[in-house]
Amino acid sequence: MTEDSDQITIVFKSNREGIPGTLNLCLDHIRQKAGNSPLHDDLMAKIKWVIMELLTNAVKHSGERESVLRIGLTMDAVILEKEDYGKPLVLVGQDKKKIIWPLEEMVRPLDFPIYHNGMDSLCVRTDESGRAIFFIEELAELEMPALLSDTSEHFGLLIMTKASDEFAYEHEPDTGLNRFISTFYFTQPLL
Amino acid sequence: MILKVEEANRVVQATILPQEASLSNADAFKEEMITIIGKGVRLVIVSFENVNYIDSSFLGSLVVALKYAMPRNVDIYLVSLKPDVKNLLTLIRMDKVFRIFNDYEEALGTLS
Repeated sequence: MTEDSDQITIVFKSNREGIPGTLNLCLDHIRQKAGNSPLHDDLMAKIKWVIMELLTNAVKHSGERESVLRIGLTMDAVILEKEDYGKPLVLVGQDKKKIIWPLEEMVRPLDFPIYHNGMDSLCVRTDESGRAIFFIEELAELEMPALLSDTSEHFGLLIMTKASDEFAYEHEPDTGLNRFISTFYFTQPLL
Repeated sequence: MILKVEEANRVVQATILPQEASLSNADAFKEEMITIIGKGVRLVIVSFENVNYIDSSFLGSLVVALKYAMPRNVDIYLVSLKPDVKNLLTLIRMDKVFRIFNDYEEALGTLS
């Protein structure tokens, strides 16, 4: 672990046994940096969910032995980043078409739904640089939640998108770097 | 062993033993649930009284168990969820597909 005034960097060995310890390290850092202005329990719970899902994502999907987690605390926000050089993100849209990073120039920008549970539609919008921004569109409630027809693979993304104020993915084709970024804004600046 | 199981009158009380319901035990939980459901019970009441945290992998296993149970006319109820766990289920709308009760007694009270 390395630390400067605003950020810690943690190398995570992408093993499932290491998740609880790494999670606690991250949460301890945030509590310590918040100091005399402790973050609200609800916010800490959301941060915990996202860190856990980022670490789980590293174990399940990156295919790399190491990921780097950066936890930053500013006056206005908590910023969580997970980086690795593993497999780029692959999403399967609701039309079953695969969207694979790096995106081809001709398909940018792109806006597509990838999952819905009957009430929330998890969508992705990509910009000119290929950065993917996840967002939720609320649907009119259906009689039978579609949660049961499309399971699990998107739960992690759904949790991270709904818990964060902003959730995004970046891929650098030149280096192969993948980066997930989750941001939580404070309603009032940290003292 | 992920679940502590007690059965009476085809109603199973299954208490999750670990404090973390996560990737490390999601598959084992799914297998144990499928075994229980396959025994011809009518209701499985899953207690989260020990669980401090649940992740997407475990939630996925829970949904797989429900999908296995539904065509077999087996209900799955969830009880004793701590606030963090319940809030996460609510966040991704799983409270719409599972019946959630405060504790075993409340869940058993719904049976005729």
